[in-house]
Amino acid sequence: MKRSARRRLLWKTGLFFLLCALSLVVLVPLAVMVFGSFKDSFEVTSFDASLPKAWHWRNYAAVIKEAKLPQAFVNSIVISGFSLALTVLVSSIASFVIARSRSRIANFLYYFFFIGTLAPMQVIPTIRLFQVGHLYGSYLSVILIYAALNISFSCFLYVGFIRTIPRALDEAATIEGASIGTMFFKILFPLLKPVNVTITILIFMGIWNDINMPIYFLPDPEKWTMPVSVYRFYGMYYSDWNLVFADLALTALPVVIVYLLGQRYIVSGLTAGALKD
Amino acid sequence: MKKADKLYSIAWAMPALALYAILFIFPLIAGLYSSMTDWTMGKAEARFIGLGNFAFILNDPELLGSIRNTFLYTIIVVVFKNLLGFFLAVAVNIDIGRRVKVNDFFRTVFYLPAVLSTIVIGVVFTRILHPDGLLNNVLSSVGLSSLASDWLVNTKIVMISIAGVSVWQWVGYHMAIYLAGMQGISHDYYEAAMIDGASSSKRLAKITVPLLMPTITINVILSLIGGLKGFSEVYALTGGGPGHASQVLTTEVLAKFGEGRWGLGTALNTLLLALVAVICVPLLTQMRKQEVEG
Repeated sequence: MKRSARRRLLWKTGLFFLLCALSLVVLVPLAVMVFGSFKDSFEVTSFDASLPKAWHWRNYAAVIKEAKLPQAFVNSIVISGFSLALTVLVSSIASFVIARSRSRIANFLYYFFFIGTLAPMQVIPTIRLFQVGHLYGSYLSVILIYAALNISFSCFLYVGFIRTIPRALDEAATIEGASIGTMFFKILFPLLKPVNVTITILIFMGIWNDINMPIYFLPDPEKWTMPVSVYRFYGMYYSDWNLVFADLALTALPVVIVYLLGQRYIVSGLTAGALKD
Repeated sequence: MKKADKLYSIAWAMPALALYAILFIFPLIAGLYSSMTDWTMGKAEARFIGLGNFAFILNDPELLGSIRNTFLYTIIVVVFKNLLGFFLAVAVNIDIGRRVKVNDFFRTVFYLPAVLSTIVIGVVFTRILHPDGLLNNVLSSVGLSSLASDWLVNTKIVMISIAGVSVWQWVGYHMAIYLAGMQGISHDYYEAAMIDGASSSKRLAKITVPLLMPTITINVILSLIGGLKGFSEVYALTGGGPGHASQVLTTEVLAKFGEGRWGLGTALNTLLLALVAVICVPLLTQMRKQEVEG
């Protein structure tokens, strides 16, 4: 008995050290970026995970100015914010009737929306569509396209969640004479809080991190979001790696904050069967 | 039944349906036709050329290479994201000592790269995989300099390097899904097996893996789609180079768009759509069957 207990302790200690080693594999590349962003332009060229000799906070002030980060930040916020609001608004109410109605068309819509979780978008015809509609290159075009792309995934999560809420609730409300719309937004929507939070976090992260849409749909650099502008900055300031790293760190910061605050909601979104690319 | 239909008027689904149908489904269908035309930038009329673009793709060494690369990349990421993700989930699920906090820490760390933009990770890794970058330095300092390589320059291994970075980024994401699946398995099974004296490896093979089949299917589908649709990794690490050595379907679509060869680009996009459908739909059908049985 004693021997097996000792063996187990030994085994667990080994596992612990293995996991520590693997954590280093994850953390060291990120440390190269974070520590590098505080080094001077010569010290950074060692590209290792060592602490900076002196912490040059000035790098951040410099990069915010040089890379026009305030503009990119505002673009990212505007695009992800409006896309998210539009997606949540149209998907939640659509999911509500899809989840509740027993008609064939509702059932069809469920599967029809599901296609979007798998299929890759057809980029060039979409661009033409926006050109014909004189929307190409506008903020509105990317906001609409992000909403169209995220509706599938959101409806999938919403329908699953709404089906767990008893119908008796909506019936009681409609007897009092409220229309389905008022009833939904006043009574049901607040009950969707967990799935709302999950969808908000996942979609926000997805849009914030995306480069695909800005590359195709926003030819004007003034409208670029943070990841695209950082990539351009990297191309121009190849030699000033401390500034490039500072720009990368600032691009990553908002999602890291959201991640640390909303971790448990992310995992619940995954368990709901997250079929997202 | 009738009453419910009237109450839950499908009109409420219209805004979502309109956005989705016009901006996602319509281009998808229009693209099927455009793939069969010689649609070119600046040319007024697009002429119908049947399967001409597809014949061109299959005879063009560069585009064929991009298809090969897409497959190679997909196979590597599917295998390693799942094997390593599963392994990490098992490891993190074992209680190390009494403090659960330790496991939470590992979970948070392993998932962290998945929340970052692939551009951020890609730019950092162009430095780490540089011929005199961190990876080669570490390898030679532990006496493995024979393994050091020109990760992103050598045309023979560049695709493997890119896939490696993608595995590094997403393995924690797949771990999280496996972990959620494992925590959904009732303890009763394990307790019964322990009473019968089953070893821990036997419990893993006879209980965890079979009961985890739906989770495994989801993970495989997600990594498959991620592999086939992979774009940012290639864009950020090599831009398809050196030469065309690491072009994949999605980056070729961007290239053809830039060259103004829209019919050809759309055909490449259609090919990608067909691949996703042919590979993922059977898996999904199988998954649904499992769900019904389970």
